[in-house]
Amino acid sequence: MGLVQYITSRVGAYLLVLFIGITITFFLPRMMPSDPIEGYIAQLQSQAGQTLSPEALESLRNSLRELYGLKGSLLTQYFSYIKRVFLTFDFGPSLTAYPKPVSETILTALPWTVGLLMTTTLLSWIIGNLVGLIAGFFHNRRGATVLEVLGVVLYPIPYYILALVLILLFAYVWPIFPLSTTILPGPLTLEKIGNILYNSFLPGLTLVLAGFGWNILGMKSLAYSTKEEAYVTFARLKGVPPRAIMTSYVFRNALLPQVTALALSIGTIFSGALLTEVLFSYPGLGLLVRTAVGNGDYNMLYGTITISIIAVATAALAIDLLYPLLDPRIRYR
Amino acid sequence: MKKSLVLTFVLVFILTSIPIVRAQDTTDVGTPRNETLVVQTFDRQTTNPDMMNPLMSSFAVWRGFRELGTGFLWETDTGTGESYPELAAEMPKVLNPEHTQFRVTLKKGIYWSDGVEFTADDIVYTLDTYFKLKDKLTWFGVAEITSYLKSYKKIDNYTLEFETNNPAYDFSTIMGVATWASHWIIVPKHIFEKQADVSMFRFTNPVTLGPYVVKSFDPNGFWQLWQRRDDWQRSSWGWMGEPKPKYVLYKDFGPEETRSLAFIQNKYDVDTFMSPESIKAAQAKNRDIKTFSATLPYHNMDDACSYGILMNMQRAPLDKVEVRWALALALDLKSVGINALNGEFKVSPLPMVDTKILRPIYFAPLLPWLRDFTLADGYKPFDEGFAKDLAGLLQQTGAKDIPQGDEALSTAFGIGWWKYDTAEAEKLLKSVGFTKNGDGKWVQPDGKVWQLELVIPGDWNKVMQRVGFSIADSWQGFGLDLKVRQVDNAEFGNVQNINNLRQAELNWTNCIFNPNYLTSWRTIRLSYIKPPDSPDTNTGNQYQWSNKTVDSLVQRSLSLENTSDEFRAMGRQIIQEFVKDMAYINIMNIPTTIPTNEHYWTNFPHQDNYYAVPYTWWSSFKKILVSIKPTGQ
Repeated sequence: MGLVQYITSRVGAYLLVLFIGITITFFLPRMMPSDPIEGYIAQLQSQAGQTLSPEALESLRNSLRELYGLKGSLLTQYFSYIKRVFLTFDFGPSLTAYPKPVSETILTALPWTVGLLMTTTLLSWIIGNLVGLIAGFFHNRRGATVLEVLGVVLYPIPYYILALVLILLFAYVWPIFPLSTTILPGPLTLEKIGNILYNSFLPGLTLVLAGFGWNILGMKSLAYSTKEEAYVTFARLKGVPPRAIMTSYVFRNALLPQVTALALSIGTIFSGALLTEVLFSYPGLGLLVRTAVGNGDYNMLYGTITISIIAVATAALAIDLLYPLLDPRIRYR
Repeated sequence: MKKSLVLTFVLVFILTSIPIVRAQDTTDVGTPRNETLVVQTFDRQTTNPDMMNPLMSSFAVWRGFRELGTGFLWETDTGTGESYPELAAEMPKVLNPEHTQFRVTLKKGIYWSDGVEFTADDIVYTLDTYFKLKDKLTWFGVAEITSYLKSYKKIDNYTLEFETNNPAYDFSTIMGVATWASHWIIVPKHIFEKQADVSMFRFTNPVTLGPYVVKSFDPNGFWQLWQRRDDWQRSSWGWMGEPKPKYVLYKDFGPEETRSLAFIQNKYDVDTFMSPESIKAAQAKNRDIKTFSATLPYHNMDDACSYGILMNMQRAPLDKVEVRWALALALDLKSVGINALNGEFKVSPLPMVDTKILRPIYFAPLLPWLRDFTLADGYKPFDEGFAKDLAGLLQQTGAKDIPQGDEALSTAFGIGWWKYDTAEAEKLLKSVGFTKNGDGKWVQPDGKVWQLELVIPGDWNKVMQRVGFSIADSWQGFGLDLKVRQVDNAEFGNVQNINNLRQAELNWTNCIFNPNYLTSWRTIRLSYIKPPDSPDTNTGNQYQWSNKTVDSLVQRSLSLENTSDEFRAMGRQIIQEFVKDMAYINIMNIPTTIPTNEHYWTNFPHQDNYYAVPYTWWSSFKKILVSIKPTGQ
């Protein structure tokens, strides 16, 4: 298959995945047993101490249906939605934060999610793979066993427990870090960057520790099996230094599946990290999605889920296009 | 190598320990801690933090606007249930015998925070905006006010006259404050009239009428800081006195696990709805943490609303009064209260909250009737000894701080509830054709096992979630084939308001805060009844209760002065009908826990220092702010 054909087919599949994903995203929330208007009205009733008259409620219902764009048939709403999303990336106003546009809310939360999760995903990947490489390459040594045990111990610990332990230790017993996030408003100065780093350290640490156990075990297993390959044995017999064998022969080849995993992990960061955001009161997309689900906020769900679909599909496309560069064997097929 | 590692570790430890010895003298947002009152947010994170326009419902209402930033013509004293003038100079004057025309006089010398005087022009402008843009504005009160008022006019800068569409005996609460919220919030004309589209106007960092202004807020919605105005005396409630904290910070300290740690660390001063276990754990670590009362139930239970089971009375078998009474008598409420709430609850057998305000008017006069009330088979279901028995059970579980004496027990735990009598409950079910099968499950007259679905909130309301599961335990033990379904808040509203989605739901309602029961019951009319399987939203009569007597009583009540004896007597008759029909299984006052940390501030209201109810999201917070004192820490 020629290069142009390869790229075209991949891009075509990518666009098809996007279209199908966005279409399913439109219909799925509509199947939820919650009506955002009724949910909102129930909240307003609660705010009003249940004192609203039936006439007032009915008038409010009709106004909201009109304002939220929920009048008309489902098909009409669908075509209007597809047009807005593909042409202007406009998901409309949030139904619970009306009239605030969904895109504005997402753009406020997105940098926090991307910043925290991109950093921690990369860190846990790099550290985990390095540790796993050493554990796998030197699997006969005691030190390697210790490293493997580290991975085995960390990996199954539920994130919630791990995070609470770290909070207890580093925000309560030794109150080095804050218990909850407080980001001060204002322009991005050095002081603000310091404030962000200070508040993000503990959430970040919990994510790195939670993630790198898996990477240790994965790379350890790959490194161990790659080390037994014939070309590695040949290199050893040829007298290639162990360090060079480890990095150029074993690591380079064992890394390939881990690169795929990294790309997909980066794609999924756009779903946010709900538990982290809840535990640390940290801003991000996870809480947005959770709130949208709870309130039946269709538009917010469309926006957040679409971002996630685009991110994962794009990551998969990037891997498809970059893999031939990483693995020469694929180039020559 | 090892030595250098140890040294490195020690150095890192010392360096990173430096923050430990740093004085805790500033809040997380940098204000002096001893000048800042820090309150846990009611809603954790708001999704619209920069929206401060009260014409739209999505404004960040739980960030202190109601208490600190606005003003109302008449506020409600949450301790007495009575209205008092705030922006108005006096209570409204009724101008005609039909009770449709009113004159309102405003206080002079009240100013917006930007120095512009508050006058009748602001009121007229706000109402004009409500009427002109009622299809665009989403504040819940817009529809209410525009259907309530017929006309209004300015007489002079401090005098207005109003006319209502119908006779109005609740003018000061509809146009002021009823329970927690107001149906309308006055906006500054000089700011809003310049906006091209007020429905899109964010009004971020608003001009306020209250004694505080927004100093800063978190664009992600986790906190908001208010600062006291220099001219607080010219604010809507400046006449009450100087609010002591220079700053008030509303902040989210995370889920209960981290919140309790922050509370122990004196990071904030007032919490809301912390669980009893967390409060006790925090108190064990920090003696500055206090509850409203030193004895059970430890907290002020005077919330406006109650928990109860809302049943679809239009649908068999819940259309039978015997079945509804069986459910009530099969509910071991003492166990529910102990298991779910550690005994920190106050029951109410009547469809309203048992508070200082309502007890003398509705509960006490009905006590003789409750004692003598019998079901059709002659059984007397009322258990006046509920509080005493509960105290006995609590003692057996090792609980301390149990109030002593009948009076104290009744005040703490309630006037009584229904007997827990499964034998009578069985008898009632059998009387309408139910039987028990070999598995011990109840079978309906048609031979099908009675499967009941109880909808409860998910973890967005942990207190109700615990109570709901506990109720389910009780009913399942009785032999009900019960399915408990936890739902998110949007679906919860649907189930509450749509007949075909509901069999039974644990909800909160009956928000009858002052003696005017019509605020909650005025739609109990036959005209609002829908079929049992209706997929349409109910527009009134939330109980879907078909009772001609009540329909007539409500209609007659609408034309009475709500402070009159006749009005209140009708209220008691409505209550009796509720009980006879068991139209709503009212359980308890909402168990609101509001612990305070008195490290930086003291003189919060307590049972032995009672000057206001301790709720920070009601008018009582204003009294609290002028009454608390810095400890000097």
